[in-house]
Amino acid sequence: MRRLLHVILLGLLGAGIVHIIVLLLVPEFSERNAWSRLAMASDLYRMTRLDAEAGGTPVVKSVDPLFYAAACRFDLSEGMVRVKAPGNVPFWSVSVYDRSGHNIYSFNDHSATGRVLDSIVLTPAQMIEIRKDLPEELQGAIFVEASIDEGMFVIRSFVPDDSWKPIVSRFLEQSSCELQDY
Amino acid sequence: MAPYPAISPSGIPSFPRLFMLKNAFLTLLALAIAVVGGGGSVWYALKTQDGIGAIRIGPWTAFPDIGTQAADPYSKARVAREGILALGQAEGLSFIAERDSDGEQLKRQCAYEIEGGFPTARFWTLYAADQTLGVVETGKSRLAALQSYQVLRQPDNAVVISVSNRPAPGNWLLSDGFGRMYLVLTFYDTPIASSTGLSDVTLPQIVKVGCNA
Repeated sequence: MRRLLHVILLGLLGAGIVHIIVLLLVPEFSERNAWSRLAMASDLYRMTRLDAEAGGTPVVKSVDPLFYAAACRFDLSEGMVRVKAPGNVPFWSVSVYDRSGHNIYSFNDHSATGRVLDSIVLTPAQMIEIRKDLPEELQGAIFVEASIDEGMFVIRSFVPDDSWKPIVSRFLEQSSCELQDY
Repeated sequence: MAPYPAISPSGIPSFPRLFMLKNAFLTLLALAIAVVGGGGSVWYALKTQDGIGAIRIGPWTAFPDIGTQAADPYSKARVAREGILALGQAEGLSFIAERDSDGEQLKRQCAYEIEGGFPTARFWTLYAADQTLGVVETGKSRLAALQSYQVLRQPDNAVVISVSNRPAPGNWLLSDGFGRMYLVLTFYDTPIASSTGLSDVTLPQIVKVGCNA
């Protein structure tokens, strides 16, 4: 009987250790995180709508019903990525996430020149490289320095009422996510 | 029947073998408790936990750290498991209400009044949500959501919103169906998203008006 008690206590101690290990491993091995879901829906450097409005079930839960959202995946080890979206919408905001869904950087239309979405995500090393000779066309862009390889770029845009739906949809559909070489 | 031989054909006495079997069983039991208990408790914690890293203001709860590197391991695991892409600090901050101001669970069949001042933000949105925090399906063309540009305000800039499945004068947030309801209030482009701004924020009250039994 004392042995059994001993074993149960040992088991509970083990349970504590397993709890901590499993908890720390869940983010590493999750098959259901945002990156995996996006990967199932589309390729790298392809803007994908996250809301259900574009048809089908939403890829990643894009919580607010008064928002439309789109996302693309990128890999900075291949080169820096440039995201642009034309048009004028009431509000847009942008977040850059790393592969496991941590928010690395975010900004909104008030931080952009002329409220135009034009942004470049790059690693610190690529930043040093491009600073030597900044190309003319990148002058107005927002540079996001991120020490990551794989990541996600998410654009969210506010739809105040039904009349804005086509405009906001067009804004997201015309957005581009391109690998840049300099 | 012949008595049980004290020495087995392999030359090892039989009672230590039984002893070993018991040892193996006890070891397995300890391992089973460890694996099932450890795994199960993580699963349970991720399913129910809402306490760690939360900031409570009246009936509203926010997780300012969720989705950042500074988040606790439970939030990180939940973000990974549910595929959440949390709002960044420059984007906004979401508050979720699960109970009304009297501490009772919000129900979709009940009518509520949300009343009070709202903190500084470029705009905010409010919607009625189900368990998964998706917007409540009303089956009507009207969304169960409101935003700050379309609400009517009191002379002192406060806002009164009626949450009900029947049309109400003033600001009406449609809700429908039965079961638990959550209210999600999100402020966009707001100084309160930085944690220092959260210390003296007041959020509106949620008062139950009545229920359709």
